[in-house]
Amino acid sequence: MTSLLAASARGLTKSFGRGDTLVHALRGVDLDLPAGRFTAIMGPSGSGKSTLMHCLAGLDQPTTGSVQVAGQALEGMDDDALTRFRRDHVGFVFQAFNLLPMLSAEQNIWLPTELSGLAARDRGRQLQQRFAGIVETLGLTARLGHRPAELSGGQQQRVAIARALLSAPAIVFADEPTGNLDSASSAEVLSLLRQSVRELGQTVVMVTHETEAARYADDVVVLADGQVTERREVAA
Amino acid sequence: MRTVLLASLRTHTRRYGAALLAVVIGSAFIVVTAALSSSMREGLTAGLGQPYDGADAVVDSPSAADAARLLDAARTDGADAWLIGWTMQQVASGTAGETSVIDTDIGQLPDRPDRRWQELVEGRFPGGPGEAVVDSNTAKVERIGVGDRLRIGTGSDALDVAVVGLVDSPSTYAYASVYLLWPELVRWQDQLFVTSLAWAGPDAGTAIRAVVPDADVVAVDAFVQDLHQQVNNGVDIVQVVVLLFGAIALVVGILVINNTFTILFAQRMRDFALLRCVGATRRQVLRSVRLESLALGVLAAVLGVLAGLGAGHGLVALVRSQWPEARLGTAHVAPAWLAGAAGVAVVVTVVAAWLPTRRAVRVSPLAALRPDDSTRVRTRSGRIRLALGGLAVGVGVLALAAAVATANVGALAVGGTAVFVGVLLFGPVLVPALIRAAGPLTQRLLGPAGRLAAGNAVRNPRRTAATTASLLVGVTLTTAVLAGMASSRAALAADMDEQHPIDLAVTGTGPLPAETLDRLEAIDGVAAAVPVPGAVARIGDLDPLPLLPATVDGDAKVLYGDLPVPGPDQVLVPWDLVGDGLEVGDLVPVTVGDTTRELRVAGGEGWGEAALVRRTTLDRLAPGAPTQAVWLRAAEDADPEDLAGSVEAVAAPVDAGVENGLARRAYVDTQLDVLTGGVVGLLAIAVVIALVGIGNTLGLSVLERGREHALLRALGLTRRQVRRMLAAEAVLLSVVATVLGTVLGVAFAWTAVRALVQPAVHGAGLVLPWGQLALVVTISALAGLLAAVLPSRRAARITPAAGLSLD
Ligand SMILES: Nc1ncnc2c1ncn2[C@@H]1O[C@H](COP(=O)(O)OP(=O)(O)OP(=O)(O)O)[C@@H](O)[C@H]1O
Ligand SMILES: [Mg+2]
Repeated sequence: MTSLLAASARGLTKSFGRGDTLVHALRGVDLDLPAGRFTAIMGPSGSGKSTLMHCLAGLDQPTTGSVQVAGQALEGMDDDALTRFRRDHVGFVFQAFNLLPMLSAEQNIWLPTELSGLAARDRGRQLQQRFAGIVETLGLTARLGHRPAELSGGQQQRVAIARALLSAPAIVFADEPTGNLDSASSAEVLSLLRQSVRELGQTVVMVTHETEAARYADDVVVLADGQVTERREVAA
Repeated sequence: MRTVLLASLRTHTRRYGAALLAVVIGSAFIVVTAALSSSMREGLTAGLGQPYDGADAVVDSPSAADAARLLDAARTDGADAWLIGWTMQQVASGTAGETSVIDTDIGQLPDRPDRRWQELVEGRFPGGPGEAVVDSNTAKVERIGVGDRLRIGTGSDALDVAVVGLVDSPSTYAYASVYLLWPELVRWQDQLFVTSLAWAGPDAGTAIRAVVPDADVVAVDAFVQDLHQQVNNGVDIVQVVVLLFGAIALVVGILVINNTFTILFAQRMRDFALLRCVGATRRQVLRSVRLESLALGVLAAVLGVLAGLGAGHGLVALVRSQWPEARLGTAHVAPAWLAGAAGVAVVVTVVAAWLPTRRAVRVSPLAALRPDDSTRVRTRSGRIRLALGGLAVGVGVLALAAAVATANVGALAVGGTAVFVGVLLFGPVLVPALIRAAGPLTQRLLGPAGRLAAGNAVRNPRRTAATTASLLVGVTLTTAVLAGMASSRAALAADMDEQHPIDLAVTGTGPLPAETLDRLEAIDGVAAAVPVPGAVARIGDLDPLPLLPATVDGDAKVLYGDLPVPGPDQVLVPWDLVGDGLEVGDLVPVTVGDTTRELRVAGGEGWGEAALVRRTTLDRLAPGAPTQAVWLRAAEDADPEDLAGSVEAVAAPVDAGVENGLARRAYVDTQLDVLTGGVVGLLAIAVVIALVGIGNTLGLSVLERGREHALLRALGLTRRQVRRMLAAEAVLLSVVATVLGTVLGVAFAWTAVRALVQPAVHGAGLVLPWGQLALVVTISALAGLLAAVLPSRRAARITPAAGLSLD
């Protein structure tokens, strides 16, 4: 295993509510996510998968514990710093509501670049080429002008993947990216994610509860009741 | 369905907050109007009959001369008579160094003590000549006390009196600021306006008709009843006018609630569909949402009536304690008004909810199962709407053209309304187009947040149009009023220049000493002073009158327009001296010293108590005439009353009269300011409701877009950018509505000026009050920002992780 880590967590806990409604979603998670690999986080519903991912991605603050992503410690960053960090180093694919409904597919793909302040006319040639390559690979060329409502669920997820990959982030998080898809579309999306790891050297962390989906991954981390109970490599 | 209704009321009531506020403001306005008008009515009708106590008959509106004859006759007949009437005179109070001058009304104090309807509050009533009583409110405002001396009138008619008492008037109708006994008041008989004369004595009708055969003699009761009727009619008119603004506010309120229901129902479409899926009939869903709107209407009615009662009574109490001179009575809001305001609130709410509820239940059960596509880009509804809009604009423009051609107010109103409705119907196309046009600017200013804002602002064209429509109503009316008033003011200014060509004309009864000019020139607030030569002349049978030339060296420095130039053989006599033996067109001898010329009489005014002749005529009558008058131009920022006081202080010791054109100008200006301020103030209520509506739309959109904002935050939009995005959206909406409204308002003002002002004042044109219009746009942009504060804070507060799990 390479010693390069895309992300790591130490002693991570996360609680919600207080008093009667207190819930310990994470109870001390230690986890290393190696770079250039496709990791699946599995576990039963309510085991804390989404919460873990949110903490790792800087979408939420853990109650205690530390998180490092791309060599940077997330604790102590204020909201603005976290936001900028996500923009520059993290890509996301969610189960649903991935895309802004009023933007076209192409505009959605460029959104993070634009949010970081890069105007359309300043995009470098390299970036344009990368965009063309990704769009081509994902088979979206003919769909770029469409709005999300005019795309199928699988197409919407592919647009989200394109968006996540475009800026070559240190790590891509995907929370149940195939949760809403039929098996054919699921297979397509999962292979695309694996392809990005193999061919582009991308690091991908995917939350899923489908064993089928986990087969596409390199590593599997199993979570139960807020703790890591198992960690294994998937046989090729 | 009961549980569903109650649960949804519980969950959604907070989201109805802004809509509720809109209706509450509207219905509270009605109650406040009722409270104010009732107290106004009470104040105005109280004691109306008191001045006529003890009279046996009343003569309605006699001429001043008839009234004087009747007063004299009463004295010789052994009867008793007194009049209710006024003359407007300048009243100077204070010491020579610190004079304050007001133009105010002087009334009669009845001779016989038991006829004096004025109530003495301090001092005593006058016992003889040289004494006066002053109304206690006037005394308070003008800081006049018992023992002070007043100089009433100017020039040769001026009267010096001592204030011996302060009085209250039981009747606002008969009220005057200063009361004099008839022997003192009679000097202004020419300028006296008499509303009525009370007569006490046997056989009143016969006795009166013996003196004035065609007198309009009325029984006291009938006369007082008639007064009541007149006052009530006056209050009714005011009430109707004010309620008109209430109606405008309510129309805006309807737009806001309608929009709220539309948005909320759109957000709840899946709930409705789910209800249908699990077996609710269309009728059940419909009844449930209708009941919901009814409940909201009832709540708004209760709150509105309570708020209105509180605000109305509070306002009346405040005015009564702070401004007793406003003479308000106590407020009684009749139950009918409360019921009316409550009914309006309920009806307005239910009506505004009608269409959205119908749309809501048309949802098919399947909609619950389909994925959410909250932003369908194109809706099919447009065509009919656009066609209707085109029709309305066409009809409206024709009506406006007709209005301009025929100066018809009705056509103007119909045309204006039709055009406006047409523009509202075009809204879903027009407003987004304008926002798109403004989009690049926000993007330039705010970067990606600005671009997203422009996109958000137009993603639901109908909602955008409905949101801006409410503001459009208020802004269009406001700017139309502002531009119309500015134009009327400019049109009047030309008129004013003609009527009051000189700010202050100081005219001596004899030659003015040399230092008078210097002292006048030295007064703070005098921009220019021009000495005018002249001589005292005898014109026909008139009292000696100064004769001035119509043109003087350097008069351009003080004159606004040109003075009328008399012909070579003409003399211009002040209008109030024409008549009674000297008529326009008469050929009269004009004598200065021992030189006499025959001149033909014409009338005129604006230069003070003097006659005007050609320069050459004056030179022939009085060669080398000394300074007889000084004409002054006030500085731009001079206070008319202060300046008049200072000038009076210089003029009084040399027995010179002061013609105060500046005060008349200032009076007209104030009237226009008050009118503009009042109308804009009343319209402001509609504007406030509209802004509540914008905040509301934005707030509801924020709820709706919770996941989107979370996604944007996850992808790298900072908190501040989220806030900016929403603020930019609100500002875009409000500024576009304001600019569109301003264009419409100015266009309406232009047609109104063409149709109404131009026929009356030749050469009147549209004058744009650029400063005020810029202020309107600025205020609405700021208000838009304000409207965005709460929603954007709420949107920015939510963490991305929490937002993503929103449902
Ligand atoms: N915002 C929150 N407030 C309170 N409790 C929460 C919140 N978010 C998550 N939880 C609780 O934390 C625990 C873990 O939730 P999490 O969403 O991480 O589970 P999950 O493994 O992603 O489940 P699933 O497979 O169903 O998505 C659950 O018991 C959940 O109820
Ligand atoms: Mg989850």
